[in-house]
Amino acid sequence: MKNKYAFVAVLLLVMTLAGIGFVRGYGAWEGQEEKEELLIVTSFYPVYIAALNIAGDCPGVTVRSLSEPQTGCLHDYQLTPQDMILLSEADIFVINGGGMEQFLTEVAEEYPDLTIVDAGRGIFEEDHGDGGTEEEPDGHSHDHEENAHVWMSIAHYEEQVFEIQQGLSEADPARQQQYQERALAYREKIRALAKRADALLEKTRGMPVALLHEAFGFFAEDYGFAVAGELNLDEERQVSAGEVADLLEEIRTKNVRILLAEDLYGKDLGDTIEKETTCRAYYLNTLVRGPKEADSWLRGMEENLEILEEALQETREQE
Amino acid sequence: MSGLFSWLQFDFMKLAFLGILLITPLFGILGTMIVNRKMAFFSDALGHSALTGIAVGVVLGVEDTNLSMIVFAVVFAVLLNKISSRNGDTDTVISVFSSLSIALGLAILSRGGNFSKYSGLLVGDILSITLPELLYLGILLAVTFLFWCLCSNWLQALSIHRTLAKSKHIPVTLLEYLFAVLVALIVMLSIKWVGILIINALLILPAAASRNLSENLREYHFFALVFSMFSGVLGLIISYYTNVATGPTIVILAAIIYFATYLYGRKRSI
Repeated sequence: MKNKYAFVAVLLLVMTLAGIGFVRGYGAWEGQEEKEELLIVTSFYPVYIAALNIAGDCPGVTVRSLSEPQTGCLHDYQLTPQDMILLSEADIFVINGGGMEQFLTEVAEEYPDLTIVDAGRGIFEEDHGDGGTEEEPDGHSHDHEENAHVWMSIAHYEEQVFEIQQGLSEADPARQQQYQERALAYREKIRALAKRADALLEKTRGMPVALLHEAFGFFAEDYGFAVAGELNLDEERQVSAGEVADLLEEIRTKNVRILLAEDLYGKDLGDTIEKETTCRAYYLNTLVRGPKEADSWLRGMEENLEILEEALQETREQE
Repeated sequence: MSGLFSWLQFDFMKLAFLGILLITPLFGILGTMIVNRKMAFFSDALGHSALTGIAVGVVLGVEDTNLSMIVFAVVFAVLLNKISSRNGDTDTVISVFSSLSIALGLAILSRGGNFSKYSGLLVGDILSITLPELLYLGILLAVTFLFWCLCSNWLQALSIHRTLAKSKHIPVTLLEYLFAVLVALIVMLSIKWVGILIINALLILPAAASRNLSENLREYHFFALVFSMFSGVLGLIISYYTNVATGPTIVILAAIIYFATYLYGRKRSI
């Protein structure tokens, strides 16, 4: 009888100690980063890479990202306690904008003093609506989230970089010069890529494509593609047979040859469509996850461009 | 990470801590009754019905989907209770209801590809709890405690032998309905913080672990409360420092307690 209580007490004590040990071990493994004088926190990967290019190597500035770059899209992201701590130490919070950060109101309430830099400020005010898609399948656009995957467009991404530079300079005038120089250099590289993309315009303008991810709407916009059909596959999306049939129908009637999809969520459906139609699937990088390196957006976009060039080559050969 | 209590400096952690202090005893108490009544599957089905409740709210255009969720869950619980008391094969009936409700919820909510908006409900988020919501939980805890004081002996009698309980003038049917509605209310009010996928684990594990040890009802309730609150508080703190979602951490701790007590109980052959 007494033993039992002793057992429970020991059990709970051991678990508490193990818990403390675990937390300690975890802390040592994570490594304590020195806090520099200015901490810029970004909401997720594409903005992180942009901010890294603008402020990453400025002395006295640390750039860190909220969700680990592996998380991917933020659609239903829940802030973890670590995120809240990071935000509580942050001086500037850089977001993608366009409704991507659904937890933003929560953050703004909790930390009213935090400076928020909205990289999508210029882009979403222009009322871009739903990005590349001209028409909604059956007119029920009211409860659609806005397409916020602007970083998939080279032109818009450059705007984002500019917005972030502006925002950072406003919030931290002392380093204005540094931000400006770095942003300029980065935008130079982006523009070089844009030039390469523009070279394709002649062939791509008006060409029908089908998309398997909302993000490619902005990608298609860069090349003037006519989006013949779109299904938005992502983390939790379940497609119905009717939607797939509709898409196949569109592909057939409009003679679509190119399908842009994401490898992770679009592979299965991409295979199906290749089997059913003459359309070929090309898997692009949505640039929401990857290495924490400054040039990873550039590299990813360049790869996308190469895939597209190859796709155009192949369609030409078919004809 | 200075000091053991550095986590209390954040408002959201204070609220979450209070939330845990309210939810875990609630679950501890209720869990014992659920395990006794062999209703583990019933509460699981109720958790799933949350999805349908929200879907119904969305379809009807109700502004506060919490309301539609609660109303639906109560209706669901009453209906389930009615059908399963008439039909001997309770397991099957509940399974049918549970899968139908989750299918309905998924079908409606995934229309137009919007399911990601609601998927937070699957995992839950104790960190976003607010003061008024804490108040509701507090009221519910008081009600549950009252119910427990008044009815736990009756419920015990009921789960041992229904006919015998009836012959002792215990209002059997009323009690069953009341209990079902109470479970529905608690599951619905806490589902946002705990998550559909694991809410049942939190209800069942502490009580199940406690049953491994206890020899009488008093011990049974006592241990269930202790286990529930312990895994809740420790889980919250560990999840704070290790950046892991809170709900699953709590469940893992509760499961560890379950297995430890299971081994202990078997050795002592309690």
